[in-house]
Amino acid sequence: MGEIVFKNICKSFGETKIIDDLDLTIKDGEFTVLVGPSGCGKTTLLRMIAGIGPATSGELYIDDEEISDVPPGKRGIAMVFQNYAIYPTMTVYGNIEFGLKNKKVPKAERKKLIAEVAETVGLTPYLDRKPSELSGGQRQRVALARAMVKKPKVFLLDEPLSNLDAKLRVSMRTELIELHHKLKTTFVYVTHDQTEAMSMADTIILMDHGEIQQLAPPEVIYNDPNNVFTAQFIGTPPMNIHLMKDGKTQIGYRPEKIQLSREQGQWMYCRRAKIMTREMLGSETLYKLQIKVMDKEVTVMSKSLNMDFAVDDEIYVGVEKEDLYYFDAEGLRIRDASVLTGCYEMTKEGELHD
Amino acid sequence: MTKAKVDVPANALSNPKRKKVYIGRLVLPYAMVLPTVLLLAVFTFYPAIDMIINSFYDINVFKGNTFVGFDNYVRLFNHPDFWPAVRNTLIYTLGSVFFLIVLGLIFALWLQRSTFINGIVQRFMFLPHICALLSVAMIFQWLMDDEGLFNFVLSWFNLPGLKWFNSSDTAMISIMIVSIWKGIGYYALILLSAVKSIPTELLEAADLDDSGKLRTFFKISLPMLSPQIFFLLITITINSFKVFDSVRILTNGLCDTNVLVFLIYTLNKTSGQAGVAAAAGTVLLIILMIFTVIYFRVLGKRVHYQ
Repeated sequence: MGEIVFKNICKSFGETKIIDDLDLTIKDGEFTVLVGPSGCGKTTLLRMIAGIGPATSGELYIDDEEISDVPPGKRGIAMVFQNYAIYPTMTVYGNIEFGLKNKKVPKAERKKLIAEVAETVGLTPYLDRKPSELSGGQRQRVALARAMVKKPKVFLLDEPLSNLDAKLRVSMRTELIELHHKLKTTFVYVTHDQTEAMSMADTIILMDHGEIQQLAPPEVIYNDPNNVFTAQFIGTPPMNIHLMKDGKTQIGYRPEKIQLSREQGQWMYCRRAKIMTREMLGSETLYKLQIKVMDKEVTVMSKSLNMDFAVDDEIYVGVEKEDLYYFDAEGLRIRDASVLTGCYEMTKEGELHD
Repeated sequence: MTKAKVDVPANALSNPKRKKVYIGRLVLPYAMVLPTVLLLAVFTFYPAIDMIINSFYDINVFKGNTFVGFDNYVRLFNHPDFWPAVRNTLIYTLGSVFFLIVLGLIFALWLQRSTFINGIVQRFMFLPHICALLSVAMIFQWLMDDEGLFNFVLSWFNLPGLKWFNSSDTAMISIMIVSIWKGIGYYALILLSAVKSIPTELLEAADLDDSGKLRTFFKISLPMLSPQIFFLLITITINSFKVFDSVRILTNGLCDTNVLVFLIYTLNKTSGQAGVAAAAGTVLLIILMIFTVIYFRVLGKRVHYQ
């Protein structure tokens, strides 16, 4: 078990309000990723759950138990810090053992638990070493082992992969997913990296300025964004969004949904474009295109399997109806069918020369 | 020390221009450390060696020195003031080391939060360190006078006044109080900087590991502070063994406050026993060396360096 509920949570640092009246439920047993730009309040939320950065006001529950006044060590949680925070004066064994000793677990049982967990994360040969003798990846494993050995209800992970090199990061990502499958406990994972969020999460909580922008599984976040922020935060390169003829409505489409052609096609959205740059990525090619919107030049990114176009080529770009998104002047997604019909009309009218 | 490696090209010495550069590169490092070595040699090593040599001579400015073997040491060990001086020095050293480190740690922990008040307290605590001992001593002589503030405070609690510097029972403790008061700010500051450098995540991780405050301090903070504590242990021990000025000013060695360096001073100055004084100096040197070796052997392994 390990369902976390935030009720009317506020957090201020001095005069600055970081989080204002937030309600949120993190489901039991899920891999939930809190993602957002730096300063969006995601680490603040994590520290609240841990009890090392309490909320200014509001209530926090784990499994229906109010825990605002429960000290961090008694909450049944474990945390992996960004810089691991392993005790440098203790051996790997000592690091993993420390929490168990504090919980007065008998020595024989401690030994058994540590042996198990060390085997799981592959630390058995290093138990007698000091952290300074370990590599970054090994330290990461110590931090994980220290968290796992406590058998917590909730795992909190604060950007645990950000200090690893790119290759190790990808392999640790897979390992963490496997670990979650094995343990089936609640994981709350904080990151600013949308790729990490997309690849690991059961549920993504996308935050900005202390507010939840969207809470949904990765595929929903990607395919059905609620607002401009979500649409542009998720996906590389981000969704192309520009104003339409009426000067209020915004149209959006993902770079990978753009079709490129030398001939004009039967698409709902169709524009003439000029290729500004071309980046060959291997499996696909990234084009920076320039189109004209209401006599203004607008830059649009396209990710295409077609690598036949060159810089300065004049081509047609098109997007199908189902790949088009519309947002209102406040940046919120337009979902109302009647309003959408109007948007489609405007898109067709604006064909080729907005 | 590792020797600086200078690569010598095969034909270096045949080419006069290159030879000059090569010799320059060879000489330069030595030239750069020369001033320090020279100063140390003249003011530290020469006097120390001279003292050790003198300890084997009967020194007489008029008749010249005569070699007496270990006579000076025998006379020193039989001197009525020697063993009390050793005992007093040890008491003073143990007291200073213990209280300076323990109080220093307490103050450092107390001041670790960066608040306005703590900033001010920190500055005030450092103040005694920059005051001249003479003025500090005079203030304390006044405070610890029969009619002084200390006895006045005692009288609030209906306790009898103490004689402080004027009684064998309290004189040594009184001197220690003055030295600790004067030194605590400096040592607390060193420990404070160490306390502040402990990453907060470590303490938070300990909180999450359900470690109590005391346990966190002894298991995590204290080991992290061990290099600074070890450094203080050695420097305070050495400084305390060398205590002289406060004894000279506050009690002039009376009331059971004679310490080793004060004994060396009196032997050398008043009794014309310079050779015995040199022997005492050598004994002090050996004691300090033994202490340092013991510290390194016994505690060195438990010191955690980052």
